Amino acid sequence: MMTHKTSGSSGKKKVQVSYVIREETEPRHRSGVNSLQYSPTLQRLYSAGRDGIIRVWTPSNTKEPLVLTMEHHTDWVNDIVLCCSGRNLISASSDTTVKVWNAHKGFCMSTLRTHKDYVKALAYAKDREQVASAGLDRAIFLWDINTLTALTASNNVVTTSSVSGNKDSIYSLAMNPSGTVIVSGSTEKVLRVWDPRTCSKLMKLKGHKDNVKALAVNRDGTQCLSGSSDGTMKLWSLGQQRCMQTFHIHDEGVWALLVNDAFTHVLSGGRDRKIFMTDLRNPDRRVLVCEETEPILKMISTPDQTGIWVATSASSIKQWSLPKLPTLSENSHPADYDEAPKPFNSKPDVTIKGGAAIRQFNILNDKRHIVTKDTENNVAVYDVLKATKVEDLGPVDYEEEIKKRHKMTYVPNWFNIDLKTGMLTIHLGQDENDCFSAWVSTKEAGLSPSEAADQKVNYGNLVLQALLEHWWRPLANDEEGDGQGDPPNSVSNTHTRGGNEYFSVSGHTPVILSEVGGRTLYRLLARDAGGETEGVLLNETVPSWVVDIVMEKTLPVFIKIPFYLLPHGSSGMRTKKDRLIANDFIQVRKVAEHVLEKVLGAGSESGSVAAGPANADKEADDAQDSNSLPEEKVELLCNDVMLEPNMDLRTVRHFIWKSSSDLVLHYRPVK
Amino acid sequence: MGANVSQLERDIGADQFPPNEHFFGLVNFGNTCYSNSVLQALYFCKPFREKILEYKARNKRTKETLLTCLADLFYSIATQKKKVGSIAPKKFIARLRKEKVEFDNYMQQDAHEFLNFLINHINEIILAERPQNANSRHKSGSGDSVSSQSEPTWVHEIFQGILTSETRCLNCEAVSCKDEDFFDLQVDIDQNTSITHCLKCFSSTETLCGDNKFKCDNCVSYQEAQKRMRVKRLPMILALHLKRFKYMEQYNRHIKVSHRVVFPLELRLFNTSDDAVNPDRLYDLVAVVIHCGSGPNRGHYISIVKSHGFWLLFDDDMVDKIDSSAIEDFYGLTSDIQKSSETGYILFYQSRDIAP
Repeated sequence: MMTHKTSGSSGKKKVQVSYVIREETEPRHRSGVNSLQYSPTLQRLYSAGRDGIIRVWTPSNTKEPLVLTMEHHTDWVNDIVLCCSGRNLISASSDTTVKVWNAHKGFCMSTLRTHKDYVKALAYAKDREQVASAGLDRAIFLWDINTLTALTASNNVVTTSSVSGNKDSIYSLAMNPSGTVIVSGSTEKVLRVWDPRTCSKLMKLKGHKDNVKALAVNRDGTQCLSGSSDGTMKLWSLGQQRCMQTFHIHDEGVWALLVNDAFTHVLSGGRDRKIFMTDLRNPDRRVLVCEETEPILKMISTPDQTGIWVATSASSIKQWSLPKLPTLSENSHPADYDEAPKPFNSKPDVTIKGGAAIRQFNILNDKRHIVTKDTENNVAVYDVLKATKVEDLGPVDYEEEIKKRHKMTYVPNWFNIDLKTGMLTIHLGQDENDCFSAWVSTKEAGLSPSEAADQKVNYGNLVLQALLEHWWRPLANDEEGDGQGDPPNSVSNTHTRGGNEYFSVSGHTPVILSEVGGRTLYRLLARDAGGETEGVLLNETVPSWVVDIVMEKTLPVFIKIPFYLLPHGSSGMRTKKDRLIANDFIQVRKVAEHVLEKVLGAGSESGSVAAGPANADKEADDAQDSNSLPEEKVELLCNDVMLEPNMDLRTVRHFIWKSSSDLVLHYRPVK
Repeated sequence: MGANVSQLERDIGADQFPPNEHFFGLVNFGNTCYSNSVLQALYFCKPFREKILEYKARNKRTKETLLTCLADLFYSIATQKKKVGSIAPKKFIARLRKEKVEFDNYMQQDAHEFLNFLINHINEIILAERPQNANSRHKSGSGDSVSSQSEPTWVHEIFQGILTSETRCLNCEAVSCKDEDFFDLQVDIDQNTSITHCLKCFSSTETLCGDNKFKCDNCVSYQEAQKRMRVKRLPMILALHLKRFKYMEQYNRHIKVSHRVVFPLELRLFNTSDDAVNPDRLYDLVAVVIHCGSGPNRGHYISIVKSHGFWLLFDDDMVDKIDSSAIEDFYGLTSDIQKSSETGYILFYQSRDIAP
């Protein structure tokens, strides 16, 4: 029994299909690392990447530190916490979800979709196995981890409590281990404090002049340290509800804090790339631990407390040594203020090397190939249609490579690109760029095997069919009689499948269904679409316009170009101006044929042209190759430029006509 | 009318009457007070009047444009034998109705829309009349007329300022700036406030969030951001448009907001950017276009102008001298019960240091 879901979805946002062009394994972070966790039992480091991937490392294995990757998020992973003694990992992402993972094996156990905007921060109360998540939707949700890890596909209802009252986007969150207080920092510039056991408001602490981006609470929940975009850190007494001290240590925003258990010393880092270790009781006693190359996003200490792992907005993760606490010397010599302090470390003890993120792209005129440049200045060429990298060019001149590949051809835009994960994500939708707008000939696209007949194919159509090639979907009985658009050798079994006759995409290609400009609905790998549960989820999420193409094999409509065909002034002929319509990929040669047969060939010229508007498209399209080439008898001009016979109409309009008004073509017989 | 005219001369006093100055009312051709009030205000913006008369002197009868009509009108006022009286801007209105279809009727129009159209239109005419020989040399090149288009016109020199929008990404905290030109500032108004307060709100921080996030080049993704608009270059004449006509959903039409907003005779801007060219400019109020009535498409426009140290009220063809203390009457109403009011709508402030 199939029910059409399309009718009910009118109120929802439109759904788009996206895919990521990447390697099967991505062993290095492609972009910044937002958060870190360390599991002492397994001696593993967990890192949350802006590339949407959580990677697990054994730092002791310096040759090949990567253990596994956890891939399910579709946008930045903003924060992670290890819980249940390292068995589970909770992650928060800009894809608006919170995910629960098996931290040992690395698979995703469940996805929580309660947030409505980027989830920015997590907090963990170890003694109660409770996690809190917060984000730009201003909401804070409290999750009982034992409930979360017991979720199954059938028993997937989860109740959550929430604390409310936040008036602005939340950027930071902290809880003490016993879960007696939770503190949030937001663009409201105040700290808000609740009791998570009762969800009751405790207080609001004012003092910062800008966003609060980092928080730490002491063990018994009596003190809190905050780091703000205003460049200061503040130590608060929650008992007295007041700021006890303000620390002016950094030149710019403080984004990361790490406080020792005794709450006597703090490590702080942020936009100025410096990490300081400060004695909270005497802030003059402080040491510049190191200077990173990019702003600091997260610090965690090594198990023996002698060093820290540091994540920045660059892709490498570094380990730095810490000075011993007693060695913190008072910064009292005036001379020290004149010269920049020397960092305690000149270079990191260990570096887990990151990879390069794609930062620039240029879509070539064929609207199929893309030239990219990454953070290490390497230039590469990608094929969007086949979802693959074509060529690594190395650190060559990016602009030069684009120029080199410039072709005088025009194909309409049919996809959007974003680089938020440092990899190419291609979006196919029906909004600003209709993914069915690009029709090309198989010969020109190099898709037809050798001498096979030239056919028109639609790029968006082909790629959607390839992405969902493995998706099997039962055919409803009542659709049997509807043979519209079926291929000639229509198979009459109860299943149909996608795929196109020209190519397949790599099975590892991630396919993402999401609301346009919004939340992710479903992500899977192309090769997994054949699975049973995947099939069920696809049936629920794939929008009808994609189903039509992939399953029903309905062809997208041709894109038409209206134009006027007039005799050239030099030919001395006169005729009235008629508006014709043709497919945008029609070549000038076909128009010449039309002129030969319908305008010049038939004796009465005015009569034949008058019949033009309705028939021109068909006539021009179907005209057979005759022995003599039409361009030998008729030449066509646009803006007084002679047109190449194999140029198509949209290219003429784009490069020669250069106007949004109707295209005008002139013809004249070749003398 | 004659009695009124002589009354004005008597009010000013023959010995006090400024030499070479004329106070002429403009005849209403059926709801053309939106134009009359703005034209009077512009006539008493000295730098503008001087440039228009200069244009008149330089341009010997060419093709009729809205600018030649305006120049003829100003010239005709400036060369009247009598010191006071009224004049019919017949040719100007006829031309205006030809130029823009929205004005081609007898309905009340929005004075700010008219001002905006007039300034932009005059500017375009000046640009179009620029000597072509300057750029004909470059004609062979592809970017032919760009050079002459970018040179500021005298309209730019008088009215144009630069606003800069500063956007700070909340993720990476990098600030990006974008400049845009303006001919007037359109400010939202609050009850019982001053123009300084409204300008402060104009430059207050707006957070780009939710579906309206900022695409940060540095983060290569959509992030929340804080945006504010500040003035980077202060114009010679600062035109402030008080947004008194608010669209109200419950009534499905624009409703007049009669809030009391005090506008001082002297104004200094505080919402200037850190890199502003001339942040300390001191402005004097020189003219105010006043809306009288209850809604945008009903009511009446008048204007008050300052000339040679005293204030005059122009109500179509009538001209009266008023006491400067009477300006208070046009601040607005403190109670929202009354619908009808006589309130300042467009304020013209002129920089005291006239050299830009």
